[in-house]
Amino acid sequence: MSRLDSKTTGIINFLDLRKPSVKALYYILLFISCCIAFVCLAPPLWVFLSSLKNIKEFAQVPPTIIPHTFEPQKIITTWKTLNFTKYYINSFILVAGSVVCAIVFNGLAGYVISIIKPRGYRFVFNLILWSLMIPATINLVPIFKNIVALKLNNSYIPLWLSYGANAFYVLLFKNFFDEIPREIIEAAKIDGCPNLRLFYKIVMPLSVPIIMVVTIFSINASWSDFLLPYIVLKNRESYTVMIKIYEMSFGNTWMSADMKMLAVLYAILPPVVLVIFFQKYLTQGVVIGSLK
Amino acid sequence: MNKKMSGKLSNRLSENISGWLILLPSIVLFTFYIWEPMIYSLILSLNETKGFRMERFVGLQNYIDVLKDSVFHQALINTFFYVIWSLIIGFLVPIIVALIVNEMVYLNSFFRFSIYFPNMVPGVAALVLWGFLFDPSEGGLLNAIRIKLGLQPSDWLQNPKLTIPLLIFIMTWKSAGSTALIYIARLQGINQELYEAACIDGAGIFRRIIHITLPELYSTARMLLIMQIIFVFQVLYEPLVLTGGGPNNASLSLMLLSYNYAFVDFVAGKSATVSVLVTLILMCLTFIYMKATKENNNV
Repeated sequence: MSRLDSKTTGIINFLDLRKPSVKALYYILLFISCCIAFVCLAPPLWVFLSSLKNIKEFAQVPPTIIPHTFEPQKIITTWKTLNFTKYYINSFILVAGSVVCAIVFNGLAGYVISIIKPRGYRFVFNLILWSLMIPATINLVPIFKNIVALKLNNSYIPLWLSYGANAFYVLLFKNFFDEIPREIIEAAKIDGCPNLRLFYKIVMPLSVPIIMVVTIFSINASWSDFLLPYIVLKNRESYTVMIKIYEMSFGNTWMSADMKMLAVLYAILPPVVLVIFFQKYLTQGVVIGSLK
Repeated sequence: MNKKMSGKLSNRLSENISGWLILLPSIVLFTFYIWEPMIYSLILSLNETKGFRMERFVGLQNYIDVLKDSVFHQALINTFFYVIWSLIIGFLVPIIVALIVNEMVYLNSFFRFSIYFPNMVPGVAALVLWGFLFDPSEGGLLNAIRIKLGLQPSDWLQNPKLTIPLLIFIMTWKSAGSTALIYIARLQGINQELYEAACIDGAGIFRRIIHITLPELYSTARMLLIMQIIFVFQVLYEPLVLTGGGPNNASLSLMLLSYNYAFVDFVAGKSATVSVLVTLILMCLTFIYMKATKENNNV
Protein backbone atom coordinates (compact mmCIF):
# COMPACT_ATOMS: atom_id res chain seq x y z
CA MET A 1 0.00 0.00 0.00
CA SER A 2 1.54 3.30 -1.02
CA ARG A 3 1.32 6.47 1.01
CA LEU A 4 -1.14 7.90 -1.48
CA ASP A 5 -3.71 5.25 -0.46
CA SER A 6 -3.74 6.52 3.09
CA LYS A 7 -3.75 10.25 2.39
CA THR A 8 -6.34 11.81 4.67
CA THR A 9 -4.99 15.33 4.97
CA GLY A 10 -5.47 18.23 2.59
CA ILE A 11 -8.10 18.85 -0.01
CA ILE A 12 -7.53 15.72 -2.07
CA ASN A 13 -7.95 12.50 -0.07
CA PHE A 14 -7.31 8.84 -0.83
CA LEU A 15 -10.85 8.27 -2.09
CA ASP A 16 -10.39 10.89 -4.81
CA LEU A 17 -7.05 9.39 -5.70
CA ARG A 18 -8.71 6.14 -6.72
CA LYS A 19 -10.08 7.97 -9.74
CA PRO A 20 -7.50 7.91 -12.55
CA SER A 21 -8.20 11.51 -13.51
CA VAL A 22 -7.51 12.76 -10.00
CA LYS A 23 -4.43 10.59 -9.80
CA ALA A 24 -3.18 12.15 -13.02
CA LEU A 25 -3.90 15.60 -11.61
CA TYR A 26 -1.99 14.66 -8.49
CA TYR A 27 1.07 13.73 -10.48
CA ILE A 28 0.82 16.96 -12.43
CA LEU A 29 0.80 18.81 -9.11
CA LEU A 30 3.81 16.82 -7.99
CA PHE A 31 5.56 17.86 -11.18
CA ILE A 32 4.60 21.50 -10.59
CA SER A 33 6.00 21.26 -7.06
CA CYS A 34 9.27 20.00 -8.47
CA CYS A 35 9.30 22.96 -10.88
CA ILE A 36 8.68 25.36 -7.98
CA ALA A 37 11.53 23.82 -6.02
CA PHE A 38 13.72 24.09 -9.11
CA VAL A 39 12.96 27.80 -9.56
CA CYS A 40 13.75 28.40 -5.89
CA LEU A 41 17.02 26.49 -5.80
CA ALA A 42 18.41 26.75 -9.33
CA PRO A 43 19.57 30.40 -9.49
CA PRO A 44 22.01 30.17 -6.56
CA LEU A 45 23.06 26.73 -7.71
CA TRP A 46 23.82 27.92 -11.22
CA VAL A 47 25.83 30.84 -9.91
CA PHE A 48 27.74 28.49 -7.66
CA LEU A 49 28.48 25.94 -10.36
CA SER A 50 29.40 28.44 -13.02
CA SER A 51 31.70 30.33 -10.70
CA LEU A 52 33.73 27.13 -10.51
CA LYS A 53 34.15 26.79 -14.27
CA ASN A 54 37.67 27.14 -15.54
CA ILE A 55 38.57 30.50 -16.95
CA LYS A 56 38.25 29.42 -20.55
CA GLU A 57 34.77 28.05 -20.13
CA PHE A 58 33.82 30.99 -17.94
CA ALA A 59 34.69 33.51 -20.64
CA GLN A 60 32.77 31.61 -23.29
CA VAL A 61 29.84 33.47 -24.90
CA PRO A 62 27.06 32.38 -24.72
CA PRO A 63 27.77 30.66 -21.41
CA THR A 64 27.24 26.95 -20.91
CA ILE A 65 24.02 26.29 -19.08
CA ILE A 66 25.39 23.17 -17.43
CA PRO A 67 29.08 23.68 -16.64
CA HIS A 68 31.58 21.12 -17.92
CA THR A 69 34.69 22.02 -15.97
CA PHE A 70 35.21 22.42 -12.26
CA GLU A 71 37.94 24.08 -10.29
CA PRO A 72 36.82 23.80 -6.67
CA GLN A 73 40.08 25.26 -5.39
CA LYS A 74 38.74 28.61 -6.64
CA ILE A 75 36.56 28.70 -3.54
CA ILE A 76 39.62 29.01 -1.35
CA THR A 77 41.81 31.18 -3.57
CA THR A 78 39.03 33.72 -4.08
CA TRP A 79 38.34 33.77 -0.35
CA LYS A 80 41.95 34.61 0.28
CA THR A 81 42.26 37.17 -2.51
CA LEU A 82 39.18 39.05 -1.38
CA ASN A 83 40.21 38.77 2.26
CA PHE A 84 36.80 37.52 3.24
CA THR A 85 37.87 36.40 6.70
CA LYS A 86 37.89 40.07 7.70
CA TYR A 87 34.38 40.76 6.40
CA TYR A 88 33.09 37.59 8.00
CA ILE A 89 34.51 38.62 11.37
CA ASN A 90 33.01 42.10 10.98
CA SER A 91 29.63 40.64 10.10
CA PHE A 92 29.81 38.22 13.02
CA ILE A 93 30.55 41.12 15.38
CA LEU A 94 27.55 42.96 13.99
CA VAL A 95 25.32 39.89 14.33
CA ALA A 96 26.42 39.00 17.86
CA GLY A 97 25.79 42.47 19.26
CA SER A 98 22.50 42.80 17.40
CA VAL A 99 21.17 39.53 18.77
CA VAL A 100 22.07 40.47 22.34
CA CYS A 101 20.41 43.87 21.97
CA ALA A 102 17.34 42.37 20.28
CA ILE A 103 16.80 39.92 23.12
CA VAL A 104 17.72 42.07 26.11
CA PHE A 105 16.01 45.36 25.29
CA ASN A 106 12.94 44.06 23.51
CA GLY A 107 12.63 41.24 26.05
CA LEU A 108 12.72 43.69 28.94
CA ALA A 109 10.18 45.95 27.25
CA GLY A 110 7.88 42.98 26.62
CA TYR A 111 8.33 41.87 30.22
CA VAL A 112 7.41 45.23 31.71
CA ILE A 113 4.41 45.60 29.41
CA SER A 114 3.15 42.08 29.91
CA ILE A 115 3.97 41.36 33.56
CA ILE A 116 4.92 44.36 35.70
CA LYS A 117 2.46 46.77 34.08
CA PRO A 118 3.46 49.94 35.95
CA ARG A 119 0.99 52.83 35.97
CA GLY A 120 0.76 54.39 32.53
CA TYR A 121 2.53 51.57 30.70
CA ARG A 122 -0.31 51.48 28.22
CA PHE A 123 0.76 54.79 26.75
CA VAL A 124 4.23 53.47 25.94
CA PHE A 125 2.78 50.24 24.61
CA ASN A 126 0.49 52.16 22.26
CA LEU A 127 3.42 54.23 21.03
CA ILE A 128 5.34 51.01 20.34
CA LEU A 129 2.39 49.44 18.54
CA TRP A 130 1.93 52.58 16.53
CA SER A 131 5.56 52.49 15.42
CA LEU A 132 4.87 49.10 13.81
CA MET A 133 2.95 51.02 11.18
CA ILE A 134 5.82 53.35 10.42
CA PRO A 135 8.02 52.15 7.60
CA ALA A 136 11.54 51.54 8.88
CA THR A 137 13.47 53.07 5.99
CA ILE A 138 11.64 56.38 6.24
CA ASN A 139 13.55 57.49 9.34
CA LEU A 140 16.96 56.99 7.79
CA VAL A 141 18.11 60.62 7.60
CA PRO A 142 17.19 61.62 11.18
CA ILE A 143 18.65 58.38 12.56
CA PHE A 144 21.86 59.13 10.72
CA LYS A 145 21.83 62.64 12.14
CA ASN A 146 21.34 61.27 15.67
CA ILE A 147 24.21 58.85 15.21
CA VAL A 148 26.51 61.55 13.91
CA ALA A 149 25.49 63.85 16.79
CA LEU A 150 26.72 61.23 19.26
CA LYS A 151 29.88 60.73 17.17
CA LEU A 152 29.02 57.07 16.79
CA ASN A 153 29.52 56.86 13.05
CA ASN A 154 32.07 54.28 12.01
CA SER A 155 31.12 52.21 15.03
CA TYR A 156 29.03 49.09 15.45
CA ILE A 157 27.30 50.39 18.57
CA PRO A 158 24.48 52.27 16.82
CA LEU A 159 23.92 49.27 14.55
CA TRP A 160 23.65 46.92 17.52
CA LEU A 161 21.36 49.22 19.44
CA SER A 162 19.06 49.65 16.45
CA TYR A 163 17.99 46.06 17.10
CA GLY A 164 16.98 47.03 20.64
CA ALA A 165 14.13 49.16 19.30
CA ASN A 166 12.09 46.69 17.32
CA ALA A 167 8.36 46.97 17.90
CA PHE A 168 7.73 43.62 16.29
CA TYR A 169 10.09 41.74 18.64
CA VAL A 170 8.56 43.55 21.63
CA LEU A 171 5.17 42.31 20.53
CA LEU A 172 6.44 38.75 20.07
CA PHE A 173 7.88 38.77 23.59
CA LYS A 174 4.81 40.41 25.09
CA ASN A 175 2.45 37.88 23.55
CA PHE A 176 4.60 35.01 24.73
CA PHE A 177 4.93 36.36 28.28
CA ASP A 178 1.15 36.81 28.44
CA GLU A 179 0.85 33.03 28.32
CA ILE A 180 3.08 32.38 31.35
CA PRO A 181 0.88 31.29 34.27
CA ARG A 182 0.46 34.19 36.68
CA GLU A 183 0.75 31.83 39.71
CA ILE A 184 4.45 31.29 39.05
CA ILE A 185 5.10 35.01 38.93
CA GLU A 186 2.96 35.78 41.96
CA ALA A 187 4.73 33.07 43.95
CA ALA A 188 8.13 34.49 43.11
CA LYS A 189 6.98 38.00 44.00
CA ILE A 190 5.68 36.85 47.39
CA ASP A 191 9.09 35.31 48.01
CA GLY A 192 10.45 38.81 47.54
CA CYS A 193 12.10 38.31 44.16
CA PRO A 194 13.03 41.71 42.69
CA ASN A 195 11.66 42.47 39.25
CA LEU A 196 14.93 42.24 37.38
CA ARG A 197 15.85 38.91 38.94
CA LEU A 198 12.34 37.63 38.26
CA PHE A 199 13.06 38.40 34.61
CA TYR A 200 16.26 36.43 34.20
CA LYS A 201 15.63 33.71 36.78
CA ILE A 202 12.04 32.84 35.97
CA VAL A 203 10.63 34.54 32.88
CA MET A 204 13.60 34.01 30.55
CA PRO A 205 14.09 30.30 31.26
CA LEU A 206 10.40 29.74 30.55
CA SER A 207 10.68 31.59 27.24
CA VAL A 208 13.30 29.62 25.37
CA PRO A 209 11.09 29.06 22.28
CA ILE A 210 10.43 32.76 21.72
CA ILE A 211 14.06 33.63 22.45
CA MET A 212 15.06 31.15 19.75
CA VAL A 213 12.63 32.71 17.30
CA VAL A 214 13.87 36.25 17.98
CA THR A 215 17.47 35.04 17.85
CA ILE A 216 17.03 33.47 14.43
CA PHE A 217 15.08 36.47 13.12
CA SER A 218 17.69 38.91 14.34
CA ILE A 219 20.64 36.83 13.15
CA ASN A 220 19.10 36.74 9.73
CA ALA A 221 18.14 40.41 9.77
CA SER A 222 21.48 41.70 10.97
CA TRP A 223 23.49 39.47 8.64
CA SER A 224 21.45 40.83 5.73
CA ASP A 225 21.34 44.36 7.07
CA PHE A 226 22.66 46.74 4.48
CA LEU A 227 21.47 50.32 4.40
CA LEU A 228 22.20 51.49 7.94
CA PRO A 229 25.63 49.78 8.06
CA TYR A 230 26.36 51.20 4.62
CA ILE A 231 25.79 54.78 5.66
CA VAL A 232 27.29 54.41 9.14
CA LEU A 233 30.42 52.36 8.41
CA LYS A 234 32.51 54.44 6.06
CA ASN A 235 35.79 52.85 7.07
CA ARG A 236 36.77 50.02 4.71
CA GLU A 237 38.28 48.08 7.58
CA SER A 238 34.88 47.73 9.24
CA TYR A 239 32.86 46.79 6.15
CA THR A 240 30.45 43.92 6.60
CA VAL A 241 29.88 41.18 4.03
CA MET A 242 26.78 42.92 2.64
CA ILE A 243 28.54 46.24 2.13
CA LYS A 244 31.37 44.42 0.39
CA ILE A 245 28.97 42.62 -1.91
CA TYR A 246 27.17 45.83 -2.79
CA GLU A 247 30.39 47.73 -3.34
CA MET A 248 31.95 45.10 -5.59
CA SER A 249 28.85 44.79 -7.74
CA PHE A 250 29.43 48.41 -8.75
CA GLY A 251 32.98 49.69 -8.51
CA ASN A 252 36.06 47.47 -8.42
CA THR A 253 36.16 46.52 -12.06
CA TRP A 254 39.44 44.66 -11.45
CA MET A 255 37.44 41.91 -9.88
CA SER A 256 36.56 39.13 -12.28
CA ALA A 257 32.96 38.00 -12.58
CA ASP A 258 33.60 34.55 -11.17
CA MET A 259 35.10 36.15 -8.06
CA LYS A 260 32.01 38.28 -7.66
CA MET A 261 29.82 35.21 -7.97
CA LEU A 262 31.78 33.38 -5.31
CA ALA A 263 31.60 36.41 -3.02
CA VAL A 264 27.82 36.34 -3.30
CA LEU A 265 27.91 32.69 -2.30
CA TYR A 266 30.03 33.44 0.75
CA ALA A 267 27.30 35.89 1.75
CA ILE A 268 24.56 33.31 1.32
CA LEU A 269 26.30 30.46 3.12
CA PRO A 270 25.85 31.36 6.83
CA PRO A 271 22.08 31.91 6.66
CA VAL A 272 21.68 28.67 4.73
CA VAL A 273 23.59 26.77 7.39
CA LEU A 274 21.36 28.47 9.93
CA VAL A 275 18.17 27.24 8.21
CA ILE A 276 19.45 23.72 7.93
CA PHE A 277 20.15 23.56 11.66
CA PHE A 278 17.15 25.45 12.93
CA GLN A 279 14.48 24.56 10.43
CA LYS A 280 11.97 23.64 13.12
CA TYR A 281 12.24 26.93 14.96
CA LEU A 282 12.18 28.82 11.73
CA THR A 283 8.91 27.43 10.45
CA GLN A 284 7.46 28.13 13.86
CA GLY A 285 8.90 31.63 13.79
CA VAL A 286 7.49 32.48 10.40
CA VAL A 287 4.04 31.45 11.54
CA ILE A 288 4.27 33.28 14.86
CA GLY A 289 5.64 36.26 12.99
CA SER A 290 2.67 36.35 10.68
CA LEU A 291 0.21 36.79 13.50
CA LYS A 292 1.32 40.28 14.41
CA MET B 1 -4.57 48.43 59.23
CA ASN B 2 -3.28 51.82 58.24
CA LYS B 3 0.27 50.58 58.26
CA LYS B 4 -0.66 47.65 56.05
CA MET B 5 -2.37 49.99 53.60
CA SER B 6 0.58 52.33 53.37
CA GLY B 7 2.88 49.32 53.09
CA LYS B 8 0.86 48.12 50.15
CA LEU B 9 0.88 51.58 48.67
CA SER B 10 4.64 51.99 48.92
CA ASN B 11 5.00 48.48 47.56
CA ARG B 12 2.90 49.43 44.58
CA LEU B 13 4.92 52.62 44.20
CA SER B 14 8.26 50.84 44.23
CA GLU B 15 6.84 48.30 41.78
CA ASN B 16 5.91 51.17 39.47
CA ILE B 17 9.29 52.80 39.79
CA SER B 18 11.23 49.62 39.14
CA GLY B 19 8.94 48.86 36.20
CA TRP B 20 9.64 52.21 34.61
CA LEU B 21 13.36 51.87 35.31
CA ILE B 22 13.49 48.55 33.50
CA LEU B 23 11.50 50.02 30.63
CA LEU B 24 13.72 53.10 30.45
CA PRO B 25 16.48 51.70 28.16
CA SER B 26 13.88 50.55 25.65
CA ILE B 27 12.14 53.91 25.77
CA VAL B 28 15.46 55.64 25.12
CA LEU B 29 16.18 53.37 22.16
CA PHE B 30 12.71 53.74 20.67
CA THR B 31 13.03 57.49 21.07
CA PHE B 32 16.44 57.51 19.43
CA TYR B 33 15.57 55.26 16.49
CA ILE B 34 11.86 55.76 15.88
CA TRP B 35 9.89 58.43 17.68
CA GLU B 36 12.29 61.35 17.62
CA PRO B 37 13.36 60.69 13.98
CA MET B 38 9.69 60.66 13.04
CA ILE B 39 9.11 64.09 14.53
CA TYR B 40 12.44 65.35 13.27
CA SER B 41 11.52 64.27 9.73
CA LEU B 42 8.41 66.37 9.97
CA ILE B 43 10.37 69.41 11.18
CA LEU B 44 13.12 68.84 8.64
CA SER B 45 10.58 68.78 5.83
CA LEU B 46 9.46 72.30 6.82
CA ASN B 47 12.96 73.74 6.69
CA GLU B 48 15.50 74.67 4.10
CA THR B 49 18.57 72.53 4.67
CA LYS B 50 22.20 72.55 3.80
CA GLY B 51 23.52 69.02 3.94
CA PHE B 52 21.88 67.63 7.05
CA ARG B 53 21.78 71.02 8.78
CA MET B 54 18.65 73.11 9.01
CA GLU B 55 19.08 76.64 7.68
CA ARG B 56 15.70 78.33 8.06
CA PHE B 57 12.01 77.63 8.37
CA VAL B 58 10.32 77.73 4.98
CA GLY B 59 6.90 76.28 5.76
CA LEU B 60 5.53 74.17 2.97
CA GLN B 61 8.05 75.31 0.37
CA ASN B 62 9.74 71.89 0.25
CA TYR B 63 6.39 70.24 -0.34
CA ILE B 64 5.57 72.66 -3.15
CA ASP B 65 8.98 72.08 -4.74
CA VAL B 66 8.76 68.31 -4.46
CA LEU B 67 5.18 68.10 -5.67
CA LYS B 68 6.09 70.20 -8.71
CA ASP B 69 9.14 68.08 -9.50
CA SER B 70 8.56 65.86 -12.51
CA VAL B 71 10.98 63.28 -11.07
CA PHE B 72 8.69 63.00 -8.07
CA HIS B 73 5.69 62.42 -10.36
CA GLN B 74 7.63 59.70 -12.12
CA ALA B 75 8.61 58.08 -8.79
CA LEU B 76 5.03 58.26 -7.51
CA ILE B 77 3.63 56.63 -10.64
CA ASN B 78 6.40 54.01 -10.59
CA THR B 79 5.70 53.18 -6.97
CA PHE B 80 2.05 52.57 -7.77
CA PHE B 81 3.16 50.37 -10.65
CA TYR B 82 5.35 48.42 -8.25
CA VAL B 83 2.32 47.85 -6.04
CA ILE B 84 0.08 46.87 -8.94
CA TRP B 85 2.63 44.46 -10.38
CA SER B 86 3.24 43.00 -6.95
CA LEU B 87 -0.47 42.29 -6.67
CA ILE B 88 -0.54 40.70 -10.12
CA ILE B 89 2.64 38.64 -9.72
CA GLY B 90 3.22 38.41 -6.03
CA PHE B 91 -0.08 38.05 -4.24
CA LEU B 92 -1.49 34.85 -5.72
CA VAL B 93 1.81 32.97 -6.05
CA PRO B 94 2.18 32.12 -2.34
CA ILE B 95 -1.45 30.99 -2.11
CA ILE B 96 -1.10 28.70 -5.11
CA VAL B 97 2.26 27.37 -3.95
CA ALA B 98 0.83 26.69 -0.50
CA LEU B 99 -2.21 24.88 -1.92
CA ILE B 100 -0.04 22.65 -4.10
CA VAL B 101 2.77 21.94 -1.66
CA ASN B 102 0.30 21.21 1.13
CA GLU B 103 -1.12 18.36 -0.95
CA MET B 104 2.24 16.70 -1.41
CA VAL B 105 2.75 13.38 0.31
CA TYR B 106 6.18 12.67 -1.06
CA LEU B 107 9.16 14.97 -0.51
CA ASN B 108 7.05 17.26 1.63
CA SER B 109 9.86 18.63 3.78
CA PHE B 110 12.14 19.02 0.77
CA PHE B 111 9.53 21.23 -0.92
CA ARG B 112 9.14 23.30 2.21
CA PHE B 113 12.86 23.74 2.51
CA SER B 114 13.20 24.78 -1.11
CA ILE B 115 10.37 27.30 -1.09
CA TYR B 116 11.79 28.85 2.07
CA PHE B 117 15.34 28.81 0.78
CA PRO B 118 15.25 32.13 -1.17
CA ASN B 119 14.12 33.86 2.01
CA MET B 120 17.40 32.97 3.59
CA VAL B 121 19.42 34.58 0.83
CA PRO B 122 20.30 38.05 2.16
CA GLY B 123 18.59 40.83 0.25
CA VAL B 124 21.61 42.44 -1.39
CA ALA B 125 23.15 39.05 -2.23
CA ALA B 126 19.89 37.89 -3.85
CA LEU B 127 19.82 41.02 -5.97
CA VAL B 128 23.41 40.74 -7.11
CA LEU B 129 22.76 37.06 -7.85
CA TRP B 130 19.76 37.87 -10.06
CA GLY B 131 21.88 40.57 -11.64
CA PHE B 132 24.08 37.78 -13.03
CA LEU B 133 21.10 35.92 -14.43
CA PHE B 134 19.57 39.03 -15.97
CA ASP B 135 22.88 40.12 -17.46
CA PRO B 136 21.81 41.96 -20.62
CA SER B 137 24.87 40.86 -22.59
CA GLU B 138 25.06 37.44 -24.17
CA GLY B 139 26.93 36.24 -21.10
CA GLY B 140 23.84 36.05 -18.86
CA LEU B 141 22.16 32.72 -18.18
CA LEU B 142 18.70 33.82 -19.26
CA ASN B 143 20.04 35.22 -22.50
CA ALA B 144 21.96 31.99 -23.05
CA ILE B 145 18.68 30.12 -22.75
CA ARG B 146 16.98 32.54 -25.14
CA ILE B 147 19.74 32.03 -27.66
CA LYS B 148 19.43 28.25 -27.31
CA LEU B 149 15.73 28.61 -28.02
CA GLY B 150 16.55 30.64 -31.12
CA LEU B 151 15.41 34.00 -29.70
CA GLN B 152 17.14 37.36 -29.63
CA PRO B 153 18.87 38.19 -26.33
CA SER B 154 16.77 40.53 -24.20
CA ASP B 155 17.79 43.71 -22.39
CA TRP B 156 15.97 42.48 -19.28
CA LEU B 157 16.33 45.13 -16.58
CA GLN B 158 17.63 47.69 -19.06
CA ASN B 159 14.32 47.60 -20.89
CA PRO B 160 12.17 50.29 -19.25
CA LYS B 161 8.99 48.30 -19.92
CA LEU B 162 10.34 45.23 -18.14
CA THR B 163 12.24 46.70 -15.19
CA ILE B 164 9.41 47.01 -12.69
CA PRO B 165 7.81 43.63 -13.42
CA LEU B 166 11.21 41.94 -13.28
CA LEU B 167 12.12 43.61 -9.99
CA ILE B 168 8.77 42.47 -8.62
CA PHE B 169 9.50 38.99 -9.92
CA ILE B 170 12.76 38.97 -7.97
CA MET B 171 11.01 40.26 -4.86
CA THR B 172 8.43 37.52 -5.23
CA TRP B 173 11.11 34.89 -5.67
CA LYS B 174 12.72 36.13 -2.50
CA SER B 175 9.70 36.43 -0.24
CA ALA B 176 6.93 34.17 -1.53
CA GLY B 177 8.27 31.21 0.44
CA SER B 178 7.74 32.58 3.91
CA THR B 179 4.27 33.81 2.95
CA ALA B 180 3.49 30.37 1.55
CA LEU B 181 4.54 28.81 4.86
CA ILE B 182 2.04 31.04 6.64
CA TYR B 183 -0.70 29.87 4.29
CA ILE B 184 0.39 26.25 4.75
CA ALA B 185 0.09 26.63 8.52
CA ARG B 186 -3.37 28.05 7.99
CA LEU B 187 -4.33 25.22 5.61
CA GLN B 188 -3.28 22.67 8.17
CA GLY B 189 -5.48 24.36 10.71
CA ILE B 190 -8.59 23.67 8.63
CA ASN B 191 -10.82 21.10 10.26
CA GLN B 192 -10.50 17.93 8.21
CA GLU B 193 -14.12 17.04 8.96
CA LEU B 194 -15.25 19.88 6.74
CA TYR B 195 -13.64 18.17 3.76
CA GLU B 196 -15.06 14.82 4.76
CA ALA B 197 -18.53 16.28 5.04
CA ALA B 198 -18.12 17.94 1.65
CA CYS B 199 -16.92 14.64 0.22
CA ILE B 200 -19.98 12.83 1.49
CA ASP B 201 -22.17 15.53 -0.04
CA GLY B 202 -20.43 14.77 -3.32
CA ALA B 203 -18.47 18.00 -3.66
CA GLY B 204 -15.59 17.67 -6.13
CA ILE B 205 -12.12 18.97 -5.50
CA PHE B 206 -12.79 22.27 -7.22
CA ARG B 207 -15.92 22.93 -5.18
CA ARG B 208 -14.12 22.00 -1.97
CA ILE B 209 -11.51 24.65 -2.75
CA ILE B 210 -14.12 27.28 -3.52
CA HIS B 211 -16.43 26.57 -0.60
CA ILE B 212 -14.06 25.48 2.15
CA THR B 213 -10.41 26.28 1.52
CA LEU B 214 -10.64 29.80 0.14
CA PRO B 215 -13.09 31.09 2.78
CA GLU B 216 -10.80 29.66 5.47
CA LEU B 217 -7.82 31.48 3.95
CA TYR B 218 -9.73 34.72 3.49
CA SER B 219 -8.80 36.50 6.73
CA THR B 220 -5.13 35.55 6.45
CA ALA B 221 -5.01 36.64 2.83
CA ARG B 222 -6.66 39.94 3.70
CA MET B 223 -4.08 40.70 6.34
CA LEU B 224 -1.17 39.67 4.14
CA LEU B 225 -2.52 41.78 1.29
CA ILE B 226 -2.31 45.02 3.22
CA MET B 227 1.09 44.06 4.62
CA GLN B 228 2.31 43.39 1.10
CA ILE B 229 1.07 46.74 -0.17
CA ILE B 230 2.78 48.57 2.70
CA PHE B 231 5.96 46.56 2.15
CA VAL B 232 6.14 47.04 -1.62
CA PHE B 233 5.29 50.72 -1.36
CA GLN B 234 8.64 51.20 0.39
CA VAL B 235 10.62 49.37 -2.29
CA LEU B 236 14.18 50.67 -2.14
CA TYR B 237 16.83 47.95 -2.20
CA GLU B 238 15.83 46.41 -5.50
CA PRO B 239 16.10 49.48 -7.72
CA LEU B 240 19.04 50.79 -5.67
CA VAL B 241 21.13 47.66 -6.15
CA LEU B 242 20.04 46.46 -9.56
CA THR B 243 19.14 49.47 -11.66
CA GLY B 244 20.00 52.55 -9.65
CA GLY B 245 16.51 53.75 -10.57
CA GLY B 246 17.19 53.51 -14.28
CA PRO B 247 16.95 53.14 -17.16
CA ASN B 248 16.00 56.81 -17.36
CA ASN B 249 14.17 56.76 -13.98
CA ALA B 250 11.90 53.93 -15.15
CA SER B 251 12.35 52.05 -11.87
CA LEU B 252 12.81 55.01 -9.52
CA SER B 253 10.65 54.49 -6.44
CA LEU B 254 9.62 57.06 -3.86
CA MET B 255 11.95 55.66 -1.23
CA LEU B 256 14.85 55.60 -3.67
CA LEU B 257 14.09 59.23 -4.51
CA SER B 258 14.15 60.03 -0.79
CA TYR B 259 17.46 58.15 -0.48
CA ASN B 260 18.91 60.00 -3.46
CA TYR B 261 17.85 63.39 -2.10
CA ALA B 262 19.54 62.62 1.22
CA PHE B 263 22.67 60.68 0.32
CA VAL B 264 23.38 61.64 -3.29
CA ASP B 265 22.15 65.24 -3.60
CA PHE B 266 22.48 66.00 0.13
CA VAL B 267 19.22 67.90 0.39
CA ALA B 268 17.87 66.41 3.61
CA GLY B 269 14.81 68.66 3.64
CA LYS B 270 13.47 67.29 0.39
CA SER B 271 14.31 63.74 1.46
CA ALA B 272 12.30 64.22 4.64
CA THR B 273 9.48 65.71 2.60
CA VAL B 274 9.27 62.59 0.45
CA SER B 275 9.41 60.41 3.58
CA VAL B 276 6.56 62.30 5.17
CA LEU B 277 4.53 62.07 1.96
CA VAL B 278 5.12 58.30 1.78
CA THR B 279 4.03 57.94 5.39
CA LEU B 280 0.88 59.95 4.69
CA ILE B 281 0.06 57.85 1.62
CA LEU B 282 0.59 54.64 3.59
CA MET B 283 -1.64 55.89 6.39
CA CYS B 284 -4.36 56.74 3.87
CA LEU B 285 -4.05 53.31 2.24
CA THR B 286 -4.28 51.55 5.60
CA PHE B 287 -7.24 53.69 6.58
CA ILE B 288 -9.16 53.12 3.34
CA TYR B 289 -8.40 49.44 3.53
CA MET B 290 -9.60 49.10 7.12
CA LYS B 291 -12.73 50.98 6.28
CA ALA B 292 -13.43 48.81 3.24
CA THR B 293 -12.90 45.53 5.05
CA LYS B 294 -15.07 46.69 7.91
CA GLU B 295 -17.96 47.37 5.55
CA ASN B 296 -17.41 43.99 3.95
CA ASN B 297 -17.66 42.34 7.33
CA ASN B 298 -20.93 44.05 8.10
CA VAL B 299 -22.61 42.77 4.95
